[in-house]
Amino acid sequence: MNQNNPRLGWLFTSPYLIYSLVFFLGPLIWSFYLAFTNWDLIAPTYEFVGFDNFLKALKSPGVQSAFWVTYKFMIVFVPLVIVMSMAVAVLVHGLPKFRSVFLIGFFLPYLSSGVVSSLIVKGFLSYNSPLNETLRRLGVDINWLGSPWAALLVVGAIMAWKFTGYYALILTSGLAGIDKEVYEAAAIDGVSNRQRFWKITLPLMYPAIYTTLILAFGVTFGIFTEVYQLTGGGPNYATNTWQMEIFSQAFKNLQAGYASAIALLASLATFISIFIIRKLLEVWGKRNGWV
Amino acid sequence: MVGSNRNRKIRLSVRYAIAVVLLLVMVYPYLYMVLNSLADWSQVDRKLIPDAFTLKSYQWLFLGGETGVTRPWIGSFLNSIVVSLLSTALMMAFGVMVAYALSKLRFRGRDTVNNFILFHMFFPAIILLIPSFLIVQKLGWYDTYWALIIPKGVSLWAVFMYTNFFKAVPDAFIEAAKLDGARDFQILYKIMLPMSKSITSVIFLFLLMERWTELLWDMIMVRSDHMLTLNVLLSQMFGPYGTYPGPLYAGSVLLSLPIIILFILFGKKFQEGMQFTLK
Repeated sequence: MNQNNPRLGWLFTSPYLIYSLVFFLGPLIWSFYLAFTNWDLIAPTYEFVGFDNFLKALKSPGVQSAFWVTYKFMIVFVPLVIVMSMAVAVLVHGLPKFRSVFLIGFFLPYLSSGVVSSLIVKGFLSYNSPLNETLRRLGVDINWLGSPWAALLVVGAIMAWKFTGYYALILTSGLAGIDKEVYEAAAIDGVSNRQRFWKITLPLMYPAIYTTLILAFGVTFGIFTEVYQLTGGGPNYATNTWQMEIFSQAFKNLQAGYASAIALLASLATFISIFIIRKLLEVWGKRNGWV
Repeated sequence: MVGSNRNRKIRLSVRYAIAVVLLLVMVYPYLYMVLNSLADWSQVDRKLIPDAFTLKSYQWLFLGGETGVTRPWIGSFLNSIVVSLLSTALMMAFGVMVAYALSKLRFRGRDTVNNFILFHMFFPAIILLIPSFLIVQKLGWYDTYWALIIPKGVSLWAVFMYTNFFKAVPDAFIEAAKLDGARDFQILYKIMLPMSKSITSVIFLFLLMERWTELLWDMIMVRSDHMLTLNVLLSQMFGPYGTYPGPLYAGSVLLSLPIIILFILFGKKFQEGMQFTLK
C-alpha cells in the first residue's frame, strides 16, 4: 500500500464529495422536506401539511397503479428476458467460431435509445402496418397500445429486446466458467441432456443467473422512456410506472410537494421489494445447494 | 466414426442457421428503421421491406419540408455530441481520480468515503429528481448546458468499476514507480490508465450510451428549442409531427448511427473489458 497521503486522498475524492453534497445529500434532505409541504413549484409561499400528501397518494389511482404496474412488468419482463438471454447464451456458447461476432450483434439493441425503439414499435404496430393488416386478414384485430395487457406486453417486450444481449453476455461468461471435464464425466455416466441442464449447467451458473435476475428485477423499478413515449402511462393507468407518475405529478401538474411524497413511497416500495427478491433468490439457491 | 462426424457437422450448421436467424430477428428493428427512413413516403410503415426508395425524409430533416417547418436538427445533434462527450469525460476523469484515491492512497476517512458511496448507490435516483431540478434552478443553470453536463458529471458506477480494477493492480508497480521519482498524477496517467485500456473502453461506451439516450433529465432541464438534445427533439416530434413518419425514422437513424459505429469500432476492446467487468 502507498504511504499515507491525506492531502492527495482528499484532493482526489473532492470531486465526488462536492458532487454528493450538492446533488445527493442536499436533494435527499430537501426531498423529505418537500414531501410535507403543498408547494406547487411556482408559488413563492407554501404550507406544511403534515402527512396529507402521503395519505392522498395512498388513495390515488395513479399511485396505486404505479405500485402494481411494477410487479406486472416483472411478470412480463423478467421471464421473457431470462429465457431469451439464456437461449442466446446457450446457442452462442455452442458455436466454435464467430462467437464474439454474434455476441456483439446481439448486444446492439442495448445501445438503442428508448425513444427510437418506441418510435419503431409505434410504427410497426400502427393501424395500417403490415403486421396488423395480416392479423386482421386472419380475423384478429388488436389495439396494441389501447388495451391494458397488450400495452404491458409491448413495453415489456421492448425492454426484453433491449436487455437480452447484455444479459446473454453475463450468462455466457458464466457458461465459459464451467469446466468441460464436468460435462465429459457426465457424458460417460450417461447423463441425459435434460438432466445435464438441470443438474450441472443450472447449479454451476447460479451466480451468473443471480446477477442477471437482480439486474432484471431492478430494471422494472426504473421504466420511464418507453412508457412515456408509447402510452403515457395508459390506457387507464395500465402502464403507469412510478417514474411516470412522479414525472406527471411534478412537471405536468406542478405538484412538487405531492410528487416528492410519491417519490419517497416509490423508494420505500423499491427498497422493500428488492430486499425480498434478494432474500428469495438466496433461499432458492441455498435450498438447491447451489450456493 | 465418419457418420458421427457428419452428424456433428449437420448439427453445427443447424446451430449456426438458428443463430443467424435469431440475430436477424433481433436486429430487424434497426433494419426496419433504416429501410423506412429511405422508403417512399407512401410505403412507410406499410411494408415489411419497402421497394420504392427516396431521400425525401433526410431532405425534410435537414432542409425542412413543404410546410416550411424546420427544426433545429443539426443543432440538437451537436448539442447531443457536446453534452454527451463532456459529461462522459467528466464521469471518466472523476471516476479515475476517486477510484485511485480509494484503492491506492491511504488517508484517514477513506473507509468513511467508501461506505458513503455504498450508501449513495443504494438510493434510487428518482427520489432526487425534483430537488435536483430545484437546485439546478437555484444555481441559475436551468436551460443551459451546465444543467445537462455538471449534474451528470459523476458516475458512481464508474468509480466502483475503476476501484475494483485498480485494487487488482499490484502495489509493487506503484512502489517501483515511486522509487523512480514518479508522482501520483504521473502514476495515474503513466501506469494505471494504460493498464486499464480495455475496462476504460467498456466504461466509456456504457456511460456515453447512457448519456446519449437520456430522456427524462434532458427533457426537464431545458426549455428552449436550441438547447434540446437530439433524443428529446425526436421524442417531441412524436406528437405534432406524427404525420411525418418518414422523417421520424431518418431522425432515429441520425440518433442511433453514431453510437453503433462507435461500438463496432471499439468492439474488440469492449469484449476484452467485459471479461473483467463480469467477474
